[in-house]
Amino acid sequence: MTAPRLATAKLIRLNRRKRARIKNSAVLLSLAILIALFWAEATVAPSLKWLRLHGPLCAGFAAVASAVLIARRRALKRAEFARSWLAAVPVSASTARWESLLIETYPAIAAVGLLTIASISYVLVLAITKRADFLAPIVVWATLSGGIAAGVIGSFLVPQPKPVDLPPGSRYVPHQKLTRAAKFRPAFSALGSWPIRQAFAWAQPKIVSRAAIPILIIMPMGTTADSAMVVIAIFGIIGLLFLVWSGVIAVSRLARRWLAPLPVRSGEVIRAFLLPACAVIVAASVIEALLLLVVNVSYRASAEVAGCTAVLGCLTLSGGLIWNWVLKTGPESRRLP
Amino acid sequence: MLEHISITLAAGEWFVLLGPNGCGKSTLLDCVVSRLIPSGGEILIAGHSLRQAPFEAKRQLGYGCAPDVLPALLTARQCLEVHAAAKGQSVIGDDLLILADELRFTPYFDAFVDTLSLGTRQKLAVLLALVGEPKLIVLDEAFNGLDPASALILKRHLRTRVERRGGALLLATHSLDIVEHYADRAAVLIDGKLKHVWPKDELQRLRTAHGDFEAALAEAIGGPGG
Repeated sequence: MTAPRLATAKLIRLNRRKRARIKNSAVLLSLAILIALFWAEATVAPSLKWLRLHGPLCAGFAAVASAVLIARRRALKRAEFARSWLAAVPVSASTARWESLLIETYPAIAAVGLLTIASISYVLVLAITKRADFLAPIVVWATLSGGIAAGVIGSFLVPQPKPVDLPPGSRYVPHQKLTRAAKFRPAFSALGSWPIRQAFAWAQPKIVSRAAIPILIIMPMGTTADSAMVVIAIFGIIGLLFLVWSGVIAVSRLARRWLAPLPVRSGEVIRAFLLPACAVIVAASVIEALLLLVVNVSYRASAEVAGCTAVLGCLTLSGGLIWNWVLKTGPESRRLP
Repeated sequence: MLEHISITLAAGEWFVLLGPNGCGKSTLLDCVVSRLIPSGGEILIAGHSLRQAPFEAKRQLGYGCAPDVLPALLTARQCLEVHAAAKGQSVIGDDLLILADELRFTPYFDAFVDTLSLGTRQKLAVLLALVGEPKLIVLDEAFNGLDPASALILKRHLRTRVERRGGALLLATHSLDIVEHYADRAAVLIDGKLKHVWPKDELQRLRTAHGDFEAALAEAIGGPGG
């Protein structure tokens, strides 16, 4: 085996594809849809025009994004490789160098590859339909690919972040420290707090601070501090709703696996999960309405938005839980060899 | 694939399931605890069919799940409370709390599961299996990760429990010392089929004659030394 890491990565990808049952026909179908969209050309030409007009900005954005992503991936892959089962396999220095380069820069290579396929398809469509503007897709392709390539080179200049093992999720879950031994109170109520805790575990301070950066960037110049705070709060509420919703769905699946051998009725579990989560959603919707009022949205519109958020959130949550606990009834489905 | 398996566990019996890796021990246990649906056959727990009366059957069942299945963001106390509520218990039995104390688990009751070590999570999984006086206790490699002292305490507790309370214990393991010292019956599973069952008297005979369990197992499997 000349390049064991690459060969392993390829086999893992093949196995995943086989397991997910992705067939070549699906890939070809996606390409056909892409070409059909190009053929219709209703939105492609204006988008290309916009991209061409803002070429330096797009290239700069692509460069920064790929530099940050590739630098992070490099740190992660190096830390992974140090613990990998392939770490002790003898490989020549030059092979190790180019295979790690390919693995670390794979997302950039894939992005350029996809851009190339899309551009070639579009140019072919233009040639067949005898439309003259060949230059626009080529310029856009060159600009974006150049930006990505520059970002990959730039990623070597980004200081290497230290790979740290993430602490357990419960570290970010607020909880009461008991000073004396508590009594056991058999109940399903703990199930209700589980999704909320999951939301806290996902919303780690580092992730929240990173999520706040794009929100701050989109603020137009001249925004006052108080309106910026309100906008951040609205995004915060939306984020909370999303986290709680995803938390309930994710956790109810795990609970199904854990509770499968227990004599529990689906209704009891659904109720235990649903009530606290719905309470959070309703409370968040009320805060959302108040925030909208602060930014001069009318009473009626604020109430409508909050009502829609609450109803939609609770309904989709109930749907997800019913899907997990009622429609997928019976023992946990597990793929056997 | 499991075929032609028929096992009846009597009250007060400790039954050990042996066999090489991948022979189907865990698959069989998954069928018994209704995590998998067998394509045919019937599983009865204390007279209740798992297919026709799953709720009643599961009330008599205690299963020690794999430590990675335990909910990471609940505390050990909450896991026990959920299990007790599911079994319709209004309190956690004192004997379980005493066992937890003997296993030195009590300080971890209010710790989140994701902060517990593998062995401590294994102890929690076993404690959960014992909630609600189950008539059938099913444990899969329950002594993995336990320190020798805790493993000994647990083995003795389980032995006393099945003898005094009349429950049955089905354990899948690779530890021959359990067959030597604690089991009433043992069976070896090869390629999804029961290859050999050691009845109680045969195990007793091997014990009194200081027999070689390893050689007996090898002989049953038909491997080297057999």
